Amino acid sequence: MVRVSLTVNGEKRDAEVPPETTLLRMLREAFNLTGAKLGCDVGDCGACTVIVDGKLVNSCLMLAGQVDGRDVLTIEGLATADNLHPIQKVFEEKGSLQCGFCGPGVILSAKWLLDQNPDPSVPDIRDALSGNLCRCTGYTKMIEAIQTIARERTV
Amino acid sequence: METTTKTGTLVEAEELLRARTHSPLVPLPIEVRGPEPNRQTPAVGQRTTRPDARTHGLGQTKYIDDFYVPGMLYAKIKRAGVASARITKVDTSEAEAMPGVVAVITGKDIPVNSFGPSLKDQPVLAHERVFHAGDGVAAVAAVTEQIAADALEKIKIEYEEFAPVLDPLESLKLETPGVHAPSANIYGHKLIKKGDIEKGFAESYRIFEASFRTQMVEHVPLEPHSSLAQWDANGRLTIHSTLGRITLGRADIARTLGIPMSRIRIIATVVGGNFGGKNEITTEPVIGMLAKKTGRPVKCTFTRPEEFYASTTRHPIIMDYKTGVTKEGKILARKVRLVLDGGAYCSWSETTLGKACILCAGPYEIENLVAEAFVVYTNKTMTGAMRGFGAPQVCFGYESHMDDMAKALGIDPLEMRLRNVLKEGSLSPTSQALHSVVVKESLLQAAKRFGWNVQGAGQGQGALP
Ligand code: FES
Ligand code: FES
Repeated sequence: MVRVSLTVNGEKRDAEVPPETTLLRMLREAFNLTGAKLGCDVGDCGACTVIVDGKLVNSCLMLAGQVDGRDVLTIEGLATADNLHPIQKVFEEKGSLQCGFCGPGVILSAKWLLDQNPDPSVPDIRDALSGNLCRCTGYTKMIEAIQTIARERTV
Repeated sequence: METTTKTGTLVEAEELLRARTHSPLVPLPIEVRGPEPNRQTPAVGQRTTRPDARTHGLGQTKYIDDFYVPGMLYAKIKRAGVASARITKVDTSEAEAMPGVVAVITGKDIPVNSFGPSLKDQPVLAHERVFHAGDGVAAVAAVTEQIAADALEKIKIEYEEFAPVLDPLESLKLETPGVHAPSANIYGHKLIKKGDIEKGFAESYRIFEASFRTQMVEHVPLEPHSSLAQWDANGRLTIHSTLGRITLGRADIARTLGIPMSRIRIIATVVGGNFGGKNEITTEPVIGMLAKKTGRPVKCTFTRPEEFYASTTRHPIIMDYKTGVTKEGKILARKVRLVLDGGAYCSWSETTLGKACILCAGPYEIENLVAEAFVVYTNKTMTGAMRGFGAPQVCFGYESHMDDMAKALGIDPLEMRLRNVLKEGSLSPTSQALHSVVVKESLLQAAKRFGWNVQGAGQGQGALP
């Protein structure tokens, strides 16, 4: 077993998990944070995207042991229902999510992008979302939503 | 169910949702109107938001794999890995002896080992015979998913392999061994006849022949298939599942488990993409049996590879077109033969076959038509429902054919279509009179909007803006 102490969404958390446990499984099974999804388990789909120390990570590709002492942000830490992050608000208005399964990953990728680059071009946005697959909505409405936020913010 | 997270945002989100979707009562009496064929619905042009958008954005929507029930076991299914074989020996003893493994079952443990939305030709777990490489041959329930996966490696199965039937055109031949012998390989057929094609071809200025093929396509829903089974103290089974057609699924589960439908409750929550691929049962009877055997809740979630080889796919179709036209490009006669690769099991093949056959003439007025479709078994991943049920495949066929003919005749491809499209009152391939037909208007509107160059007639290409 591996002991892991880390910060998740601003809270100190500890877990003891088998060494092969991925960050994704630890979040979902040990901490009951099911916002990050398992879509492929091999780094292809981005449904498991979280932010570790400010970096976008496919949590299915990172071992739980690797996040010891680090800071993890999951979709659950981004906002609450009555205090939405602007991305969540605009995604809702624009209908950027249908089944929603890709949503937590896409929204975290968008957040990461806007943190780095407050005024991204469409190619910048495409690039940032290149690791997130969506099978229902497609990317047009997501790109529109991210552009809208950037515009609103820079005004 | 332990599903809420510590922050309590789910409760907040639900309250918010309620507030948002609350609308004032509709005053009675409600005005009842008869059908008004050409009236546009007021919904067009309205902007609306999805009621579930809030929880989606917050990551609080719960899909099946997000559920955990105390005491729950994880199931994994061993796949055959051979396309056609007889199972000669099954040894699960080593897997059963592994610490953490609670139960192992094989095909012989399934009370009624066959199901399907139309033909009941699909086993829950292969027993004696394997029909495609994705067939499940054994299932394990263990305390962790990892242990269940490790246990699959310890299950030893011996096969006597046979030459698989992989080519649908081979399968069509009488001398080809039956995939499900003694049943024939052709398990569905449809024939549509209209007018007199011999006469139509005889009067044609030119006759074009072409063959088209489409490939197998997987739905790839972002959420893999998942289900969770629990028996209660009174012998009733509750299954949470990603299943889209729960009533049909319930009948199949009742059949395979040999219990009345009234003892089965299926709960389908939000689905992370279906596209037709979640329209029939997959793991439900397996986890039902494992849960019964262990007396504990059991969950099974497909791996991504399983989505590709153990769930349904879109039918590949081999399409042979023969079309007779006048000098001006008016179609006088058409003959089509479709061969659908059904894979190992029927699933929704009959629906797909029917739709493909009815639609393979395209949205064109064709007085003399023969369309014939066959669906055959092969030792491949089964095909089933997928968006459009055969319509996209034949659309690729008849539109490609149309482009080729337009080019050869020196007619603009849009013009060629406008000369043939269905009109108000036209008869469909099955001789149904059609109403509210706006193919021509739609084509012209589309051509205008994306800047199709009608001037460039005969070039066979559009002007890009
Ligand atoms: S689950 Fe991690 S990338 Fe798909
Ligand atoms: S909304 Fe379904 S995968 Fe993106």
